[in-house]
Amino acid sequence: MKKSTESPEPASREPRLSRRAFLASAGTVGVATVISPNNLMAQPMNQAAASASTAGAEGAVPLTLRINGNEHRLRLDPRTTLLDCLRENVVLTGTKKGCDHGQCGACTVHVNGRRVNSCLSLAVMHAGDEITTIEGIGQPGALHPMQSAFVAHDAYQCGYCTCGQIMSAVALLKEPWGPKDDDVREAMSGNICRCGAYPNIVAAIQQVRGKS
Amino acid sequence: MQSFEFVRAQDASAAVAASARSNTAQQGASVRFVAGGTTLLDLMKLNVERPLQVVDINRLPLDKIEPLPDGGLKIGATVRNSDLAQDPVVRRDYAVLSQALLAGASAQLRNMATTGGNLLQRTRCMYFRDTSMPSNKR
Repeated sequence: MKKSTESPEPASREPRLSRRAFLASAGTVGVATVISPNNLMAQPMNQAAASASTAGAEGAVPLTLRINGNEHRLRLDPRTTLLDCLRENVVLTGTKKGCDHGQCGACTVHVNGRRVNSCLSLAVMHAGDEITTIEGIGQPGALHPMQSAFVAHDAYQCGYCTCGQIMSAVALLKEPWGPKDDDVREAMSGNICRCGAYPNIVAAIQQVRGKS
Repeated sequence: MQSFEFVRAQDASAAVAASARSNTAQQGASVRFVAGGTTLLDLMKLNVERPLQVVDINRLPLDKIEPLPDGGLKIGATVRNSDLAQDPVVRRDYAVLSQALLAGASAQLRNMATTGGNLLQRTRCMYFRDTSMPSNKR
């Protein structure tokens, strides 16, 4: 199931420690020092960790998902959203959780080539579907043209919404939108950027569309 | 979110039979169909909807848009909003419907949301969505 938890991370190809691995280990040490003298705090934290990662043995159902061309055999609580499954069970953490209510677009992935909000979909609904995440459209050293354009146009600041923006933008290329910048703004209205990188996002997309 | 049993409907009659065993929405429907999930999952996360069984109807052959002999149009329950809005017949003969669909939600949500789900959509009232507030519709 989890062949390599760090495979999608660019840093894993390099000898240095990845940011995610560092934060995960630092977090563990930090929690351990806090809770070791106090068992009262350990209990709720353990419960939270269990519900997030193992998805509860009771009522879990077997499921095979096809993600970025790879089959993943999973056992999931039916409540698990596609977003949580991608991040917590398959450990493809490029897909981000923003609002978790389908309003911000940070969780955008492709299902059978169409963009959807993975937070408003149950993982168990997707047996047999072809799921594509940001890890599946390009790799370090072989970026998707849309990824390159986002870099070239500095189409982000904090980067939290960027994976969802790029997944939306890639899907947009195959959708029947008009040529104008306003058409791109309308097409991208399901992806919110709190930093306000919108002008650069539009420029990046228009460059890839050949409309700039 | 409350636990539920997830089942995939094999045919329309099985889905209808499952739904017939349910109490009504006003009583807190114990069985819910899911297609796009854009409203249902949203409300289940808020514990506004708490079905005991969720019936997935996505694999049923209900995704067709068919012109009728009398000039009408038969729209399947699982036709996505985006597909309905872009359908050539809808664009030509029902332009307002197409424009209304494209004015709603986002491209991602329109790829998920269905015609049947639109009809079953519950109120967007903030009191309804907030379980700490009284609501005679919940």
